[in-house]
Order: sequence, then C-alpha cells, then structure tokens
Amino acid sequence: MKKITKIFMRLIMMAGIIVTVVACSSSKEIYTDITESKEVKFERSGAQLWGETCSRCHLVPSPAAYNDTDWSTIELHMRIRANISESDSNKIFEFLKSAN
Amino acid sequence: MKNLTLLLTMLVLAFNTNAQTNIFEPSKTQFMIRGYGHTGFNYQNSEGDNESSFVGSAFSPIFLFKHSDRLMFEAELEFELEHNQLEVGLEYADVMYVLNKHMTVRAGKFLLPFGTFMERLHPSWINRFSTKPLGFGHGGITPASGIGVELRGAFDIGKSKLNYSVYGVNGPRLKDGTGGEPEEAGMLQFQNFEDNNLSKAIGGRLGILPFADSSTELGFSAYSSGKLGEKDSEYEDVGAFLYAIDFSFVKQIPELSGFIDIKAQYSKSNVENAHYVEIHDEDGGDGDGGDEGGHKIGEGEGVEYTFDNQSDAFYAQLSYRPTMATNNFLKNLEFVGRYSNFNTPEGSLWEEKSTQYAFGINYWLSWRSVVKLSFQTTDREGGHDGGFSKTEAISLHWAIGF
Ligand code: HEC
Repeated sequence: MKKITKIFMRLIMMAGIIVTVVACSSSKEIYTDITESKEVKFERSGAQLWGETCSRCHLVPSPAAYNDTDWSTIELHMRIRANISESDSNKIFEFLKSAN
Repeated sequence: MKNLTLLLTMLVLAFNTNAQTNIFEPSKTQFMIRGYGHTGFNYQNSEGDNESSFVGSAFSPIFLFKHSDRLMFEAELEFELEHNQLEVGLEYADVMYVLNKHMTVRAGKFLLPFGTFMERLHPSWINRFSTKPLGFGHGGITPASGIGVELRGAFDIGKSKLNYSVYGVNGPRLKDGTGGEPEEAGMLQFQNFEDNNLSKAIGGRLGILPFADSSTELGFSAYSSGKLGEKDSEYEDVGAFLYAIDFSFVKQIPELSGFIDIKAQYSKSNVENAHYVEIHDEDGGDGDGGDEGGHKIGEGEGVEYTFDNQSDAFYAQLSYRPTMATNNFLKNLEFVGRYSNFNTPEGSLWEEKSTQYAFGINYWLSWRSVVKLSFQTTDREGGHDGGFSKTEAISLHWAIGF
C-alpha cells in the first residue's frame, strides 16, 4: 500500500511539473500561431460553446441574465472555478456580452 | 483678487465636469454579491419512528471581487440554523491570480477538487437533490476544502480538452479517540484551521474531456498526507492516501427530446493502520468517576484494538429534462435518480455499510431556482448505534441562487 502511494504521488508530482513547464513555456506561442485555415476546422462558435460548456455543471444562464460588467466578473470566476480554457472562455463571454 | 477667485472657481468647475464625464466608464474594480439559499420540508420514517419538520432557511452569500482581468477574490459564508442556533461558517475565501493562459494560482481557503461533487455540484441550486450522496459532508470520507495554495488551468489539445489542479494544504487530522470521541478513532477530520504538524497534504485532479462537444469528462484525483497525528504523539507518522474517479456526461439528445445528465464519483480512503484504545466502563458506564468499592470505576480499562482503515463511497446520478417538449410545464421538469453507497472500516467503532436510492421530480423556475420533490430510502448496517436500520424520507425543497 505504501509503495503504491509513493509511486502514485511521484507520478502526480511529475505530471504537475510537466504541466507547469508546458504551461509556462507554451503560453505565448501555441494559440497565436495557429493560422486561420487550421482554426476553421475545429472552430466552434461562442454560442455553441456556451450551450455545451455552461451546461456541464448547472443549467445554462441566458445572455440576458447579466449586464456586460457582471458578465466580465463571472467570466473570470467561471474560467478559474470551472477550469475552462482561455480561448473557450473568451469566445463564450464575447457571445454572451454581444447577445444580452 | 476677486477676478482670481472667479478664475479659480471656474477652473475647479471645469475639472469637475471633466471628472464627471468619466463616471460612466465601467470601473476596473468590480464587486458582486451573489449566493444561494434553500428551505423545505422533510418527513422521515426510521424503523417506525416518524419525524417531520420544516428545515433549512440556509443562506450562503458569496462575494466576488474582481480587481483586474487577472486578480480576483472570492468568499462564501454559510448561515444555517442548527440545533436552535445560528451556525456561521466560512465555506471558502481565496485570492486567485491568472499567471498565464494555462495557469492560475489560488491561495486561501478553497473548495478542493477531490472528485467533482464538493467543488462543483453541492450548492443547493446545482445539486438535483436536497441531500448529498452518502460519504460526503458530516462523517464522510472526502475532503471538501483546504487552506493552502493551488495551481490550476486548462488546455485545448486538438478537439479534446484537459484541465488540471495541484495543491498543497494543511492536511487532515487523525481522530485518535482521545478528546471525548473514542467512537470516532481512526476517522479523518478535514476541517482544519491550523495544522497540527509540519507535514502538509498534497493532491490534485486531472480532468479529460475527450470529445469536441465537451459532453464527457473523466477525472482522476488524489490526496495524500504523510503525517496526520498530533506532533510528538504516537499517531504522528500515520499517513493517508485518498483517491477519486469522477465521471460526467451532459448532452442534449434530440431523439430523447431533452437533456441527459449523468454524474458519478467513486472515492476511496486508505489510512495507515494504528492502534487505538477503547475504554470499557466496568460498572456499566455510570461515568461519575467515583471510587466505589476499591477499584477504579468510570475511568475504565483501556483495550487496544486496530482495524484495516479503508473506506469507500460511490454515487451515480442520472437526470433527464425534456427541454424540447412543446408543453411549457413539461419543459421545465426534471426526473432524477441517484444511487449511492458507503463503506467504513470493519472493526472500527464507526463501522457502517449503507446503501441509498433516491428519486426526484424537480421543477425549474429559472436556471438557478428549483423546487425539488424527492423520495429517498437508506439501508444502513452499523453506524453510531449499531444494528440494521432502514430510513425512508420524503422532502420538498426550494433552492434559489441569486
Ligand atoms: C465545472 C463546472 C462549471 C461549469 C462548466 C460552469 N460553471 Fe458556472 N458555476 C459553477 C459553480 C460550482 C458555481 C457556484 C459557485 C459557488 O457557489 O461557489 C457557478 C456559478 C455560476 C454563476 C453565478 C455567479 C458566480 O460567478 O458564481 C454564473 C452566472 C455562472 N456560473 C455562469 C456560468 C457560465 C456562463 C458558464 C459557461 C462558461 C459556466 N457557468 C460554466 C460551476 C460551473
């Protein structure tokens, strides 16, 4: 049992370190470099992401539920609390602010 | 001189109007008070013993303070009426700072991503039932919050998404049976304000959303603490390792004319074995501590015992909302079922094996206000009073977020 624990914790720590390194080193390049044509392939609209992402934990709030100022507070809160990627979060909240 | 005063006044006024034109620009500092509350009625039948009561009136205000696009503070208080008293709790209070696209640091008291129920699903306007699944909350085996630091973030990997969290917190405490709670020896106490030793608990969660539509998430969590006992006590070196696996599937399925929502979590707790002392009162436990008839009575005699300190808990929940129905009333309805079970160590004084089924019909008044009618039946073997018991409960609750 102790051995398994140790191995498990080491794996987690290693994963943590790798994630840290990747996160720190890749923050500039990965998303900005993607060319238009590449992005179009997987691109999901803000509205679509809103329907899919915001329903994962609770029912989806409609764009009219808040004004732009409140949406931007919620944007930061949900991005962190729900661990949503920055690009998805940007698209979703751009949509919410444009449609309220 | 008069002219100068006039000029000055005009200048001041001019600056003032200048300042006023800025008033309607949104402030960079944003403050929101939100929160939720619930109230309801419970009826319970346990082995012929009936109870009914209006309950709740729980109120949890949440304060969100956005200082800039990167810096935020969140705090939640919890007001609840319990045993005729107002209980106040600090559910969480933490600062969050976005370091870069893929990493945010949080520090303070925060909800722990050990599985998903406590971090994401327990607020009454999110939880589909008025109760938690077995194994969570009071007497449960899963950590709900911790005081420490955390790094978290998310990545898009092609069509899939990945999110992670790693944290270090003041670990749990081992209840060693002293301090008036001999029947809880071997349990972990997660509610810690200060650490009782130098060792911290570390943990994390990795969530994977393999499909482009984000419908499915699989999560793996671990939580480990090398030292649980009081510093310099014989329990100091007792360690614990906990893990959890969680699953979520949420999707609108046109063939079923509605939303299917599945949530599940398996949690396992392994605490290293230790020897605890059980006190047997020799005179049947009058507990007066008096010296009657020449031998010590009341203090009793300690009997050492040990057990394999492993516990686990599981729940799975399925809900269906006919959101595509033409009838407005039907559209807002939700049908939900939940199974959960909970096993604590055999041989411990808190040994229990419980199984619970819950069924509910919910009516959603808005995206964050719901009336829940539920029926729940729990079979429990062991527990504080020992023996077997069956408890059936019906409840009608109203939860609202604001
Ligand atoms: C991983 C789960 C999860 C996802 C995904 C999620 N939320 Fe939330 N949301 C929560 C939780 C949990 C709370 C309650 C926070 C609390 O009570 O501490 C919440 C609260 C909220 C609130 C109330 C205000 C606040 O900030 O607390 C709003 C509005 C909200 N969510 C909107 C959204 C939107 C919009 C999305 C999609 C981008 C979203 N949520 C996605 C879990 C989630």
